[in-house]
Amino acid sequence: MAQRAGGDDSEFTRRAADGGSAPSRREDARLVRGAGCFVADLLPEDCLEVVFVSSPVAHGEMGAVDVDDARRMPGVAAVWSAADLPAVPQTPPMLGITASAGRAWPALAVDRVRYVGQPVAIVLAADRYVAEDARDAVRLDISPLPVLLDPTDAAGSEVELFLGMPNVAVEKEYGDPIDPAVWRDAAVVVEGNYRQQLLAHTSMEARAILIRPEDDDGLTVWCSHQAPHRLRGDLAAALGLPEERIRVVVPDVGGAFGGKSETYPEYLAVAVAARRLGRTVRWVEDRAEALTGPPHGRGQNQRTRMAADADGRILAYELTIDADVGGYPHLGAFVPLNTSVMAAGAYQIPRVHVQTRCVVTNTAPTSPYRGAGRPEAATAIERTVDTLARRLGMDPAKLRQRNFIRPDALPYRTPTGFQYDSGDYPAALALAMRTVDYDGWRAQQAQRRRTGTGAPLGIGICSYLERSGNAWEFGSVEACPDGTYLALSGCCSTGQGHETSFPQVVASVLGVEPELIRLVEADTAIVPRGIGSYSSRSMQTGGAALHRAAGALMEQARGRAAESWAVPIEEVTYRAGTVSAGQRRVSLADLAAATGPLRADEVFEPPQAAPYGTYIAVVEVEPELGTVSVLRLVAVDDYGVVINHVIVRGQSYGSIAQGLGQALYEQVRYDPDGVPETRSLLDYLIPTLSEVPPVTLREMCTPNPNTALGAKGAGEAGCIGAPAAVINAVVDALDLDDPSAIQMPLTPFACWQARQPALAGAGR
Amino acid sequence: MTRIKLNVDGVRYDDDVEPRTLLVQHLRDRIGKVGTVVGCDTSNCGACTVLLDGVSVKSCSVLAVQADGKAVTTIEGLAEPGGALHPVQRAFHERHALQCGYCTPGMIMASVSLLADNPDPTDAEIREGLEGNLCRCTGYQNIVRAVHDAAAAMADGGGAAPPQVPAQAAPEQREVAV
Ligand code: FES
Ligand code: FES
Repeated sequence: MAQRAGGDDSEFTRRAADGGSAPSRREDARLVRGAGCFVADLLPEDCLEVVFVSSPVAHGEMGAVDVDDARRMPGVAAVWSAADLPAVPQTPPMLGITASAGRAWPALAVDRVRYVGQPVAIVLAADRYVAEDARDAVRLDISPLPVLLDPTDAAGSEVELFLGMPNVAVEKEYGDPIDPAVWRDAAVVVEGNYRQQLLAHTSMEARAILIRPEDDDGLTVWCSHQAPHRLRGDLAAALGLPEERIRVVVPDVGGAFGGKSETYPEYLAVAVAARRLGRTVRWVEDRAEALTGPPHGRGQNQRTRMAADADGRILAYELTIDADVGGYPHLGAFVPLNTSVMAAGAYQIPRVHVQTRCVVTNTAPTSPYRGAGRPEAATAIERTVDTLARRLGMDPAKLRQRNFIRPDALPYRTPTGFQYDSGDYPAALALAMRTVDYDGWRAQQAQRRRTGTGAPLGIGICSYLERSGNAWEFGSVEACPDGTYLALSGCCSTGQGHETSFPQVVASVLGVEPELIRLVEADTAIVPRGIGSYSSRSMQTGGAALHRAAGALMEQARGRAAESWAVPIEEVTYRAGTVSAGQRRVSLADLAAATGPLRADEVFEPPQAAPYGTYIAVVEVEPELGTVSVLRLVAVDDYGVVINHVIVRGQSYGSIAQGLGQALYEQVRYDPDGVPETRSLLDYLIPTLSEVPPVTLREMCTPNPNTALGAKGAGEAGCIGAPAAVINAVVDALDLDDPSAIQMPLTPFACWQARQPALAGAGR
Repeated sequence: MTRIKLNVDGVRYDDDVEPRTLLVQHLRDRIGKVGTVVGCDTSNCGACTVLLDGVSVKSCSVLAVQADGKAVTTIEGLAEPGGALHPVQRAFHERHALQCGYCTPGMIMASVSLLADNPDPTDAEIREGLEGNLCRCTGYQNIVRAVHDAAAAMADGGGAAPPQVPAQAAPEQREVAV
């Protein structure tokens, strides 16, 4: 199968039309021709296609699964429920989260089902149509049990979703409890209740996996995934195989957004089937399954409380989270902890206290979704700050400026224990205000309100702060005898363009053309170690590892040359792919050819970074219908050093569209029995071309002080900054006194209902 | 089983198909044109868009038997393998109108069809014309720019001709091989 590296097609090395000095993307060479290779595009010999029989019941006691008719159908290779397997593997706990102890998620349901869509039986046939026919012939006997769909209800319910265990799977506290006197004595205290609705990731390619058993009892796995080495480790642990026996290859991935970073029960069932039958087996999820989940994103009930003095100085902030982790606590149980740690946003608040509960329910299990806890944090505090401004009668921009952490106070440690690295938060707000013409819009709003003409107009600000990157990453650079360089990374592109941007990093260190550098990632047989791509970590961490590896390669080459020329290393200089000392000079290619492989491996673990920025939205709310129109959206982001501006800007646009989706359109809905109602893209509305407004992007640059490369995380900010900016703008337009009166998504009905008087009277 | 004749990207294919087989599955599973992908199979996303006798259709909403006797152009037939790109493909690349590339085959085919109907579309016409094609990565901004660029390039004679197809192309097979 084709490796993902490539694209030396000369027409793809020209400069991008969109300005900047960024080389345009190599991966386009195959993708614009329809020559990309996604898991469903692989054409293996003699492959069985998988369809799962999944639970139609959200919570129930399982009786027998009758697979006899299905097994007898022509073309069906096997139909198995958990009862047919000698052992049912369970998904290993993610990131060492203890929440899953006693709440393991089995490959196929055993005894109980806990969400609609949970795999109950696996059907294998030579053809997907046949497999679907057989699926429909499987008969289930499930006795329904009471259903819990809301995390706060579930936390207080007598119904035990796991017998003998609490529904609260994780309970955590950050910062110190706030003295009641602070609330009592403060000039102003505001409160809010906010709902972070459940979302569907909706990568255009859904989940997909193909597994081929190998002669040594090992497996080769092709999976649409974000973290191949993690998948390998999880499969090994679940199947009781040594890691070396499993090779994971990630071909082209059609978007991931956090939903492809885990090991799902379906993957384990496919692996079991491939081993038992000794056949290549593939599962490609369809759209209805993908929307039903898992995974879902977000899903938090939040309560906030904020105290300030009469001048608007924030004295205390309290956030309480009940997070929905769905039927089984998995990676979704980590997300609310991210929200908690960064609860305080960009503000210097002396007292911050966060209490978080991760609660099991009968929705599909949650996972990180682009932003992964950060949008939840930003929305909570930014809505609350706006409420405070209204209560104080103060301009919300002025209130923010009064409370920002000043640049000279950085690095700054929050009361929740997270260290912010560098930046200039006030400058980001000021730049956004200038770009959008904040004063002009405020004047226009005042005029509309005064004269009662025009649709209600609102201006909303979100000054966000995020937390990017974590843990280590592997990077390696080798000088090849043919004059090219091979870079290996443990990251895994799912559309972010690593084949283009990582070689740029290496080239900038080595002083050679990026075209000479080829990247290979996402194959555990070639890349010895790695973590993957999520948490905006690829450039910040993986890029920084490659940056160091390239530097180490230069040192290695100098050392090697010094040795073979018998001169002190200080006399050997490196320049643009060659080393020299006095009259002697040799290219790295020749040096490698003459003296053996020249390769530097690095594992680098920089601390997390804190990208930040300010988004400002200007909206109009249509008086009769409640429809929100976003007139302007300005995004100011500081991602530290940006390697490829075209790629980063592209991700900003995409991320903002997803943020607008959460703010205005998207929501996974369940009926009271826990059956998902959003099962097609007609019911689950992601933004289309007509809905995305023109967006203005502005960049600031405060280098990451903890890496030589200087990059911070990029790519998720739009999901973090856009929702709160839009909501604050709508609340402003509608002039709502009770901020909790309106929740996302801000559908026309939600806006219409929130404050009819404002809409009816145009203005106020 | 029904016997159908299709011309796909310039090559004639005669096959027996089941009445329920969707055109997109026939193209992918039987003919090996896996460049055309499936994003929903309920005609909502446009990822599977191809041209049927020159008109764009979502190939998941057409039965293979309905295409009998017709000519199908897929993304793989828009430019010769290794040959010059169609202006729309080039504009998508130059404007960075794709990220993961999964929606791209359908988005490009829908754009080709849009420009055939309306060689000089406004922003609003592009937005409306491509509304049936979903992209989760790009936020669409660069897609609109790319379609404008392609329109300009085609007006300059940069490829207004109908898409060229290779005379004798064998369907490309992608094997699982290590
Ligand atoms: S796959 Fe045909 S429209 Fe989505
Ligand atoms: S580029 Fe990924 S869906 Fe459009």
